[in-house]
Amino acid sequence: MLSWPWGTRCALLAAVLAVCGGSALAQQVQRTGGASALPRTTDGKPNFQGIWQVRSGAAYDLQDHAARAGMPAGKSVVEGGAIPYQPAAAAKKQQNFTNRLTADPLGKCFMPGVPRIMYMEYPFQIFQTPEHIAMAFEWSQVYRLIYVTAKPPLHEGFDSWMGNSRAHWEGDTLVVEVTDQNDKTWFDIAGDFHSEALHVTERYTLADADTIQYEATITDPKVFTKPWKISMPMVRQKNVPRLLEFQCQAEAEEANGDFERDPRTWYPKAGSPPSPLGPPAVMPPAVALPAVKTGANLKRTAEGKPDMTGYYNANAGGANYGLERHSRDFLTPATRGVVIDPADGTLPYQAWARTERVNRELPYRGYDDPTAHCFVAGVPRGIYTPSPFQILQAPGYVVLLFERMAWRIIPLEGRAHISDNVRLWQGDSVGHWEGDTLVVDTTNLNGKTWLNEVGDVMSHAAHIVERFAPLDGGKITYRATVTDPIAYTRPWTIEIGLSKDNEELLEVACHEDNGDLQHLKDVRDEHREQQKKEK
Amino acid sequence: MRMSNAGAFLAMVTLMAGTVFAHHSFTAEFDEKKPVKLEGKVTKMEWSNPHSWIYIDVETNGKVVNWALETGAANSLIRRGWKKGDLPAGTVLKVDGWQARNGSATANVSSITFTDGKRLFAGSSNESAPTK
Repeated sequence: MLSWPWGTRCALLAAVLAVCGGSALAQQVQRTGGASALPRTTDGKPNFQGIWQVRSGAAYDLQDHAARAGMPAGKSVVEGGAIPYQPAAAAKKQQNFTNRLTADPLGKCFMPGVPRIMYMEYPFQIFQTPEHIAMAFEWSQVYRLIYVTAKPPLHEGFDSWMGNSRAHWEGDTLVVEVTDQNDKTWFDIAGDFHSEALHVTERYTLADADTIQYEATITDPKVFTKPWKISMPMVRQKNVPRLLEFQCQAEAEEANGDFERDPRTWYPKAGSPPSPLGPPAVMPPAVALPAVKTGANLKRTAEGKPDMTGYYNANAGGANYGLERHSRDFLTPATRGVVIDPADGTLPYQAWARTERVNRELPYRGYDDPTAHCFVAGVPRGIYTPSPFQILQAPGYVVLLFERMAWRIIPLEGRAHISDNVRLWQGDSVGHWEGDTLVVDTTNLNGKTWLNEVGDVMSHAAHIVERFAPLDGGKITYRATVTDPIAYTRPWTIEIGLSKDNEELLEVACHEDNGDLQHLKDVRDEHREQQKKEK
Repeated sequence: MRMSNAGAFLAMVTLMAGTVFAHHSFTAEFDEKKPVKLEGKVTKMEWSNPHSWIYIDVETNGKVVNWALETGAANSLIRRGWKKGDLPAGTVLKVDGWQARNGSATANVSSITFTDGKRLFAGSSNESAPTK
């Protein structure tokens, strides 16, 4: 049995001697002269930006395995072949394996943790700046925000599903230390597991321009007899121009009937009968509002654009409880009113949508709000939901990472929107700069989201133009103009201030403990029973 | 020391009860027509998102019922420097709030009072409550 200090020694020596994982590969890369041909960032680091995917079979079982239902056969990605379990842990693993169809936390759409998220067979995208590496995963809009710093996390000891990630460079290898993961995740479908003492050291090395050699060393003295290592290639997905969505919990609840989408706002399939609402309204163009004057002393990126990178809260004035001004109603807070066009602050609803908006505020409709189910807030609600978010500016992209685990990826190179038939909770966003203002154009929405918890209405037909106008002192004036010919008679615009703060995101695993949902469902079901009796 | 820590913690929790990060309509879940007054001992504090919960045992006519009190998100508590275990089991609380519409032993808290009579009002559902 190897003694525990192995891991410690390895960590200490790694920087100097490169004796640990990844060194052989790094040498190989240099020997073949590949290192000079690797894509590099402007600061000379290997450039990992791009869309990647692993197809190693590790997601099914890290070790050698025969084929089973829903599980193709595969060979071990564990160095030495076997995971060095302690005897009691080996028994627990066997129990997990036996019960895997019901016991796998992924079956409940809980976040997979690290390293499991890295080799689930969904694409993910890496965004890279000198200070941050962000990874956005197609699976359930999970992300990792990795800080490239020696500073410890601001809130060390905060357990989460995806943990805290801190990175440093060892030559051309990115080394990520992952701590503070909870004990609820597995490594694979086969039930390989760990305790809360898990420490993962990941090493990312470019083998060539299109391959990352990925290694993860797993240390958990409560479960294993010694540290062990997995390795596998990550392959650049050249034919995947953008990540789409797989919202695990939302899809599951729609399939089992727990969530019912509204057929009036949902995108009709090709060949569907015409909407009972009749044809969409002919919309006048949006009113041209005076532009927000951006700051005179803005911090700028290397490309000369305003640098808005940071952690933000919205001064939303209660927009999540209504976009129009209203006073407090029992436990629904007052709203100052954020609509700046029309000038009277009233949303230009079509009659059916105004009626729907009023109905949605009735208690039995509380269950219908997708965020009550912990689904993503959508656009623009994610900005003013009372929960912070991070702006990251990587070459060619602005990325928004929302604390309640959702991302928006905004490419800036002027690409077209995706096919009309592909509909997404967060829509398809493309951005460009108008002077110092970031303008983001979003279409392809799925019409399932509400604009807030009192149910301001938006349909799949909405076209949203957002403007992030940076001011001095870490402030942003945010505007969103919504043109939705199914629910409104004309375009309208909201305005909200955003403020930067010296904070770090903390994961919100919303549906892990969503006790409120059953209460809301009870209220709805009681109403339905009452209606049946009255008939 | 322990108690004052818990007291300060409660000030925080109540300030944020139903605040900062509501992910669903409180008005839909809780019933204005069912105000409740509870007195009981803390059995546990559950740090979770989107809401944290304080559980208290309430004895009525010899029967003990464990009530769940909905409060603010764990993230917001942590950002204010609070740690798990800061509200010890056994702390006696008096609670004013509203019961869930489904009749379960669940309440949205409007205020929490200590046995010494010190009363801490909740800024219930007040989004503008400072986060730091």
